[in-house]
Amino acid sequence: MVSTIDISVEEQETEAESQIDLAFREIRERANDHWRGLTEGDVPWFKVGFGASGQAAGAQDVYDELIASPQFRNGKFALSKVGTRGLMYLEPLLEVKSPGGNSVIHANVSPTIASEIVTGYTEGDGSAPLHETAIARIGKKDARTQNLTRWRDLPINRLQTKVLTRNFGVIDPHDLLQYVANGGYTALHRALASKSQAEVLDEVKASGLRGRGGAAFPTGLKWSFLAPSDAPIKYVLCNCEEGDPGAFNDKGILESDPHLLLEGLILNGYATRSTHGVIFIRQGHDLPIDATREAIDQAYEYGLLGTNILDSDFSFEAEVSLTGDSYVAGEETAMMEAIEGKRSTPRFKPPFPAAAGLWQKPTNINNVKTLAYVPGIVKDGADAFKATGTESSSGTALVCLTGDVARPGLYEVAMGVTIRTVLEEIGGGPAAGSERIKVLQTGGPLGGVMGEEAFDTEIDFDEMAKVGCILGSGGIIVGDEKTDIVDLIRNLVAFNQFESCGKCFPCRLGNTHMLDVLDRMCKSEARPGDLDLLEKVGTNMKVGSLCGHGQLGYNPISSAMAYFEDEFRQRFEGELSPSGSQGDGIMLMPSRTRPVGQGR
Amino acid sequence: MPENVTFTIDGQTLEARPGDTILQAALAAGIYIPYLCYFPNMKPYGACRTCVVETESNGRKMTVASCTANPMPDMVVDTKNEAVSDLRRGVIELLMSEHPHGCLTCHRIELCGPQDVCQRHVDVTDRCTICPKNERCELKDTVRSVELDLRTPLNYNRRDLPIHADDPLYDRDYNLCIVCARCVRVCDEVRGDAALTLVERSGVSLVGTSHGTSLMESGCEFCGACIDVCPTGALVERDYKWEKAKTQVTTVCTNCPVGCEMVAEVNRFDKVIRFRGNVDGPANRGQACFKGKFGYDYPNSKSRLRRAYARQDGVVRDIDLDAAYATAAERLASYASDEVAVIGAPRGSNEDLYAAQKFARVALGTNNVDAGLNIVPELLERIDTRWDGLDTDQSIWDIEDSDSILVVCANPTEAQNVLAVPVKRAARNGSRLVVVDPRETELTRYADVWLRPRFGTEHWLVMGIVRAVVDGAREDAKFIDARVDEFDALKATLWEYDLRRVAQVCGVAVSDIAEAAATLSLGSAMSVLLGTDQPADSDNRRKLVDAVMNLKLVTGSVGGAGNGLYSLYEGGNGAGARLTGCAPLHADTGRIESLCEAWGSTPPDVQGLDVLSIFDAMRGGQVKAAVIFADGLALQEEAYGDVTAALSNLEYLVVASLFDSPITQHADLVFPATAYTEATATATNIEMRVQLLRQAWKPRSDQRTGWQTLTGIAAAMGVEGFNFTDAESVFNELIETVDALSGCSYDYLNTASFLVHRDVATESTRLRFEVFNPDFDKAPGGNDLFLAQGRLLHQPDREITLGQRNHLNVIDRVEEIMMHRDDARKHGISDGEFVKISNADGAPSLAGRANVNGGVSGMVFATTLFAELGTFMEECESPDPAPLVPQLAIRSVKIEATSDLTP
Repeated sequence: MVSTIDISVEEQETEAESQIDLAFREIRERANDHWRGLTEGDVPWFKVGFGASGQAAGAQDVYDELIASPQFRNGKFALSKVGTRGLMYLEPLLEVKSPGGNSVIHANVSPTIASEIVTGYTEGDGSAPLHETAIARIGKKDARTQNLTRWRDLPINRLQTKVLTRNFGVIDPHDLLQYVANGGYTALHRALASKSQAEVLDEVKASGLRGRGGAAFPTGLKWSFLAPSDAPIKYVLCNCEEGDPGAFNDKGILESDPHLLLEGLILNGYATRSTHGVIFIRQGHDLPIDATREAIDQAYEYGLLGTNILDSDFSFEAEVSLTGDSYVAGEETAMMEAIEGKRSTPRFKPPFPAAAGLWQKPTNINNVKTLAYVPGIVKDGADAFKATGTESSSGTALVCLTGDVARPGLYEVAMGVTIRTVLEEIGGGPAAGSERIKVLQTGGPLGGVMGEEAFDTEIDFDEMAKVGCILGSGGIIVGDEKTDIVDLIRNLVAFNQFESCGKCFPCRLGNTHMLDVLDRMCKSEARPGDLDLLEKVGTNMKVGSLCGHGQLGYNPISSAMAYFEDEFRQRFEGELSPSGSQGDGIMLMPSRTRPVGQGR
Repeated sequence: MPENVTFTIDGQTLEARPGDTILQAALAAGIYIPYLCYFPNMKPYGACRTCVVETESNGRKMTVASCTANPMPDMVVDTKNEAVSDLRRGVIELLMSEHPHGCLTCHRIELCGPQDVCQRHVDVTDRCTICPKNERCELKDTVRSVELDLRTPLNYNRRDLPIHADDPLYDRDYNLCIVCARCVRVCDEVRGDAALTLVERSGVSLVGTSHGTSLMESGCEFCGACIDVCPTGALVERDYKWEKAKTQVTTVCTNCPVGCEMVAEVNRFDKVIRFRGNVDGPANRGQACFKGKFGYDYPNSKSRLRRAYARQDGVVRDIDLDAAYATAAERLASYASDEVAVIGAPRGSNEDLYAAQKFARVALGTNNVDAGLNIVPELLERIDTRWDGLDTDQSIWDIEDSDSILVVCANPTEAQNVLAVPVKRAARNGSRLVVVDPRETELTRYADVWLRPRFGTEHWLVMGIVRAVVDGAREDAKFIDARVDEFDALKATLWEYDLRRVAQVCGVAVSDIAEAAATLSLGSAMSVLLGTDQPADSDNRRKLVDAVMNLKLVTGSVGGAGNGLYSLYEGGNGAGARLTGCAPLHADTGRIESLCEAWGSTPPDVQGLDVLSIFDAMRGGQVKAAVIFADGLALQEEAYGDVTAALSNLEYLVVASLFDSPITQHADLVFPATAYTEATATATNIEMRVQLLRQAWKPRSDQRTGWQTLTGIAAAMGVEGFNFTDAESVFNELIETVDALSGCSYDYLNTASFLVHRDVATESTRLRFEVFNPDFDKAPGGNDLFLAQGRLLHQPDREITLGQRNHLNVIDRVEEIMMHRDDARKHGISDGEFVKISNADGAPSLAGRANVNGGVSGMVFATTLFAELGTFMEECESPDPAPLVPQLAIRSVKIEATSDLTP
C-alpha cells in the first residue's frame, strides 16, 4: 500500500515539474524562433534608440524617416524601437544588424543620415562603405568593419559592468519574446520549477543585495519580514516615483527593459509568498508607464502573470499605479496612501509596512533597480552577483551623469569604482567650455553636494555616507567652476520646499524658512544670525520630522557647509558671488510660499 | 487578552492600557505633554511633532512623537529633557511664524484687554486679545507651556486670507489655522463626511472644503465637530462668537433620543453661549449635530415667558401662581375622568413626565396621558409587548460591531443625527447596509442595497425579504429550533408572499429583494434601525414592526453585541416617557398596577388615549380639557391632524410653555416653563441610559418645572401624594416604582450615566413569529400621488448654484422632480417641464423640473440638499428652531405643470 502511494506522489511531482518546463519551453522556443528571424533573417535589422534621451535628441524623426522610406515598405529591412544604450551624448543612436553578420552602431543620426544609411545597406551588394557616423561594431570583424572598434572596447564601455543594462538598446522593450530570447524569465522558470520560495529568499539574502532606493537596507532581510506572514493577501510594491532632478535610471530600466523589473517583481512575490504586485510610477512619465503596462499585458498573455504562473501553484497579479504629481509620494508609506487614492502624505511608523501596509495588508516596497537585480541573482547565483562590487556593497551602481560633463548618460559601474573615475574616464571630464568640475550633487535634492576633495571616494553605500553624501537614486549632477554654491543649494532647498507634503510641521515650515534665508543670501541680504538659524531649523527638521523628506532636508546645507564653507560665509560679508547668477535671487525653481506680508 | 504595559515616564511608573500610546498613557496619568494634532477618539496623526519625547528601551535612545509611539515594557520616557524641550520649542517657534503671536510670546498675556495700548507695537490683528478663542485657546496653552522667547529670528508671515463668513452657522478664519488637520480628520474619520480636506501642500498647505466650494456644496452636515476639535480660533460658532464663558455645565441635549452629553458654556449674564459635545459623553463620544450644536440657545431668548397668564374672553392678564394653581385645580376637577387629557413635553425630564402621568392618574383619574411626540405608538409598544427588553438594549456604538445593518423608514442623519455616525462608520468599515426607504437619504448613499418601495408597502417588502431568506435556506435553523415558535405557521404564510408579486406591489426588483436577503444573512450580527416615517395606517405600522421582528428572528440576530433593534422614535425623552409610565397604559398591564400600588390608589380602569387619539377626541368633543407641556412640541406632524380645530374645540386648556406659540394661543391658562438650563433633572435616551441634566442658573420669576406646576395644581385640588420638594425627591419616588432603576440616584448620576436594567430575555425565553397574510388587494393605487422628498449631504452629480441672502450663501437651483411615465401622462406633464407640487390642502410645497424617466408609479421623488437645514437653523425666526426643522414626511400631494417657478 505504502509504496503505491509513494509512487503516485512521485509521479505527480515529476508531472508537475515537467508541466512548468513544458510551459516555459514553449515560450522559449517561440522566442528563439522570433529572435532568429530578426537577427539571421534575409534583411538588415534597424534598431533606433528610443529611450527618453533618444527621443529628446530626435529619435522620433529618425524613426519616422525610416518607417516612411520606400525600402521599409518594400520589406528591405526590419525596424525596431529599442531602449537607450546609456551613452546619451551619442543619441539618436541607430544600430544596424546585418543579416547573419555583425552590427554597426551609428551615433548622432539625423533623418537625412538615416536615409543615407538605409541606402547603404539596401542598395548594391551590401559592400558599400560604412557611413561616417558609424562609431563601433558589435560582433565579429568583417571586411566593411575592420576599422571599427568593438562596442564593448570603447573606453567608456570598458569601465562599465553591465548587469542591469545588459539588454539596454539590444532588445525591443515592447517585445517579451526578445527578452526571453536573451535569457529572460529563465530565473522565474528556474525558481518555479526547482526552487522553493525559501531557497529564492536565501539566495537573495546571500547575495548581499542592498536596496537601491536610498536607504541601502539589505533586501533579503526586508523580504524576510514579509515572507512568514500567512495573510491571504500580501503586496509587493515597486517604487518608480523617481522624481529627483537628474535621476533617470529607474525610468531607464522601465523604458529599456521593463520585463527585467517585472521578472524581479514576480520573483519578489514568489520569495515572499505574496499575491499582488503594484508598480508605482510617477504620473507624466509616459514612456516607462506605457512600457510597463505593455509588459504586464504581455506577461499575462504568456501566462507569466496571473493564476498558476507557468502552470505552477504560484499565482501573482501585477498592475501599474500612478502617483499624483508629488515627490513625497515616493516615500514608502505616502506611496501606499497614494495607491489607496488618498492624499500622498507619509504615515507614521510603526506599524511597518511588513505588518500593515497597502490597504493595511502586509507589504514590501522595493526600488526598481533592486528588483531588477533579482532575476540575475536567481539565475546565476548569489556568488556571481557578489563577484562584482565591494564587501559591503555588492553588485553595480547605475549612475546618471548630467550637468557640466562632457559625456552625460546612464552608466553602470561596479561598486567600488571611484567617483573620479566615473567623472573623468566615463564622463570625459568637464564639458566643453568648462575648466574644472567644482561640485557634484548626488543622490537627489535631499542628498547633498560634494567638493573636489571627495572625488576619490569609492561609489559604495558606506564610503559615500562617510563623506556626507548618499548614493541614493544614483543621479550625479556635475557643476563646473561657474556654479554658484548658494544658488545651487537654494535650488535644492526650493525643490524640497516645493515638494514637502505639508503634513508635519517641521518639514512644512522648516523648509519654508530655510528657503527664506537662502533667498536672502542669494540677494546678499543675509542677516548675522542666519547661519545659526539654518542650523537650528535644519537640526530640528532632522530629528523632528515625520519622514525622510524632512529628516534629510538639511543635507544640502550641511554638506555645502562642509565643502564650501568659505563661499557660503562670503555672502554674509556682503560680497556678491564671484560667478553664477550674481546673487539676483531669480531662480528657476518655483516654491510654495506665500508672499511675505507688507511691512511685517 | 493583551496586558497592560508598565513603563517609566519622567521617573514615574505608569501602566498603559494595551494599545494606548505614550501620550494617552501620560495624559491619563495627569502628566502633560504638549500636543496639537492629537485628539481623543481619533486615530493618531503624528504631524505636529510637539509631543516629542525621548525614549530609552533596550539601551536604544530614540526621539519619537509620543502620540504615535506605543510604550514598551520597561521603557524609560523623558518628556522634559533639554534636547526634547529645545526641539519642541523649535517646532512651536516655526508654527508661530505663521500664526498671529504678538501676545503669545508676551508676559503680559493675561493682563491685557482688547483696548489696551500695546507697548510692543504689535499689530491689532496679531494679538490674542481680539481672537474669538482668546482665553479658551488650546494653542495658547500649548505655546505657553513651552515658554517661547520674545524674539525669534524667523520671519513672521501672516497669511492675509479673507475670512469665510458666508456659510451658515460658523466662521472660518484660516489665518489662524495651524494645519493640524483635526477638523479634516474628524470630518472624515469620525463623521464619514469628508466635507473638509487639506488643500495645497508644503508651505501653503491649508484646510479647505472638499471641492474648493462653499460648505453648502461640500457635503457638510453642520454638526460642528470640526469646531469642537479646532485648537485655535480658526473655526468658531458665529453666534456668541466673542462671548466669554464664566462656567461650564455638563448637561444633556434633549432635542432627540440620542441623548448627547454636552458641555454648556454659560456667561456671566446667565446665557448659554456655546454647546459642545462632551468627549467623554457615553452616548455621543464627543459628537453633536446641527440641531444640538446650534439650536441650544433658546433658554436665552428675550421672549421667554416669565409670568403665568390667564385668557378670559380673549383678554389676557397676568396672574400670580397661587391663583393660577387654584383656577386650574377648580376647572380641571370639574371634568369627568374621560373628558381630560395630559400631554407630556417631548423634552420633558423623567421627573416631569413621571409627575404628569401621576397627576393624570391620581388627580384626574384618567389614563389619557402620553408623551407629545409619541406619534408612532406601535413602534415601542409592539416591540415591548413581543420582546420585553430585547430592543434598544445596546449602546448605539454597538452598531459598529454589526455584520449587517438594516434601516427601515428612518432618516437618522436628520432626526437622530449622532446615531447615523456609527452606521456610516460601520458601512465604511465593511458592514453591509440595506436601506428600505422611498426617500433618498444620506444612508442610501452608503447602502449596499437600497430598496425603494412604494409608500405603504414597506411591511410586505420586509416580509418579502423574510421569504427570500427562507427561500435561500439562509435562516438560522438552530436558533429557530431552540428559541422560536410558530416557524411552520410563518412558512405557511410566506407561501403567499410570492416574490414576484411582492416586487410588483412594492415597485422594486425581485433581484434586489434577494440581494437584500443575502446581504442581511451574511454575518451573524444584524442591527436594525426602525424609524417613524411609516405609512399612516396604524395596522400597516404594526405589521411593519412585526415583519422586521420576524426578519430578526429568522436570521437569528437576537440578543448579543451588534444585534440591536433600535426604534428611532421622536422626542428627546420618549424612552423616559415609557420608563416613567407617561403613556396611555391600561390597568391590566403590570406597569400601571405597580405604579398605583406604590401610590396606594386604584388605577383608572379604562384604556387611555394616546396622543394622536387625544387630538382626535379633542376634535370630536370627547376630551374637553387638557394640560399640555409644550417644550419641544411643535405639532408640525401631519399625524396630529388639524391642530387648531382640536385646540379651539377644547373647553379648558392649560399649557406650560417656554414661549408663546400656536398652542398657547388657545390656552385658557399658561404657565411659564423652565428650560434645560434651569432645572436639574434626568432624561433617558434611546439606549435606556439615564443621564443628568444640570442646572446652569436659577429659574427667573415664575418659571417652574413641569413637576412643580403639577405639584401646585395638585395641592390646590387637595390631592395627596404630591409633596415633592425638589427634583431629586420626584426621582427617588420614580426609582421606588420602577424596579429597573434600582441602584440609581442623583449621586450616582453625578459621576456616571445609569443604564436601565431591562429584563433581557434569557436563553430560555421563548420567542415567536407573528404571522399575517398579505392583503395585496389593499395595495395603494388609484389616483393618490405621494411625494417622497429626500435630502443628501452632497450631490456631486448635480450642478448647484449658490445665491446670497443676508450675506449668506443659500442653495439656489432648480430641483429635479422624478416621476413615473404613467403618472406624468396622467397629469399631462412632459419631460423637462416645470412642475409645482402642492400638499393635499393646496399649500405649495416644491417646484422643479420634471424628469419622467424613472421612479415608481404613484410616487414622486425629489432630492434636495442638506445644506438648506443649515440655512434654516441660521434664519429661523423662532427662538427655538430645532423642533421646527422641516422633516421629510412622505405625504399625499398634487402635481401640476407650471410656467412659474416661484413656489
